[in-house]
Amino acid sequence: MTHAEMSELYELYALGVLEPELAAEIERHLNEQCEYCWEHLRSAMQVTAALAGTAEPVSPPRALRRRLLDSVRHGRPAAIPSFAVFAFSAAALACFVFFITWQVATHSTQKQIDALRHERDQLRAAIEVLSRPETRSVEFGKTENGPHGRVLLSGNGGIVFVGSQLPQLPAHQTFEMWLVPANGAPKPAGLFRLNSAGDSVNVSPLPLDGSTKAVAVSIEPERGSNEPTTKPILVVPLG
Amino acid sequence: MPAEKFIYETAGMQAGAKAEARAIELLRARDPQGLAAAYDLYASPAFALLVRITRDKIVAEDLLQEVFLRLWNHAQEFDSNRGTLGIWIMSIARHLAIDHVRSAQNRFSTKLRPIENADAPCFLRNPNTEQSRITDQQTVRDAFATLNAEEKRIIELAYFEGFSQTEIASRLEQPLGTVKSRIRSALQRLRAAVGEVGQQ
Ligand SMILES: [Zn+2]
Repeated sequence: MTHAEMSELYELYALGVLEPELAAEIERHLNEQCEYCWEHLRSAMQVTAALAGTAEPVSPPRALRRRLLDSVRHGRPAAIPSFAVFAFSAAALACFVFFITWQVATHSTQKQIDALRHERDQLRAAIEVLSRPETRSVEFGKTENGPHGRVLLSGNGGIVFVGSQLPQLPAHQTFEMWLVPANGAPKPAGLFRLNSAGDSVNVSPLPLDGSTKAVAVSIEPERGSNEPTTKPILVVPLG
Repeated sequence: MPAEKFIYETAGMQAGAKAEARAIELLRARDPQGLAAAYDLYASPAFALLVRITRDKIVAEDLLQEVFLRLWNHAQEFDSNRGTLGIWIMSIARHLAIDHVRSAQNRFSTKLRPIENADAPCFLRNPNTEQSRITDQQTVRDAFATLNAEEKRIIELAYFEGFSQTEIASRLEQPLGTVKSRIRSALQRLRAAVGEVGQQ
């Protein structure tokens, strides 16, 4: 996309009315660190944000401020709906894509940017799976303080794992997802780490077939394994 | 730059760039005072937006908390020179609220009014009858008054209800090109109108 094509789109992008493919193209251009377009976009976003000023003025209850500050002072943000709870719709994930575009635009090191882009690609793939009408969702983990989240399943391929409160791993280890059939060995279905928000998203490259009975996650060496080498930390039955 | 002034002086965001920079500095140092400062700057306009979109104060309270906790968790991403904290907060608030409405409609579709039947009270009401406690909001509203009814409706559908340009075009039975150019001209005129005020 060129500057000239971009100039028609700043306002439309800022308002969020563009179709996802076009928005993605704009993000690609912005991610090439085009300061000129970023400046114009920021200006369009300022006008957009000001639209909020036409809403009826209403103040939040006083107690809310105290509750919020108490929760960060005492490190209890678990009382708050987490990513995995929110991530049940394409719109929610699109919100995270926005975060990441934002992060990419304001980050400087190439390594961070690459990690963020990978994260965004995973989210985009997840959005694609989520937007299919036949996709169903299986929840796992009942407690906010333990690992919990959702597995999203689409018949024609596409398995998305969205998790919160997974353990922090040292650099030489990774999470690996497995598709567990009724009989035979689990099939490796992708490596993933905690993302910048401390959550994780993994989109399986394998199609889902009738023989898959569960999705499991184990901790593996950095480069992954062909079969689980540790006891899975999570097994999510799909039945 | 008038647009910069605009963002700080509209939507109840009278905060100066300095106050914002200070809040970001504290947030980056994981100091809860930074969160308190950001909250004091933007919680009211964000809450008004959340209530406007969800039409439910209890939900808006939950979402407001969520917005500021995300800010707390993402504080490292802010550059204190860029003057973008307000934009970020309002964008996240808007995304969360629209998403909430959408998923609530999917799950409890009989409980909620369909979006197409929702009116556009905030653009249509007479600003003079409002308790206009924040003059700056008056500025945004005045700028809005310069838009025609079609433009207002389109901006309403886009900003508060989260429809895409093709959805808006089919809803209003207008060509996509017309919708696009109306959005652009509405936002550009809004910026120009408020820019003029900013320069006075
Ligand atoms: Zn450019």
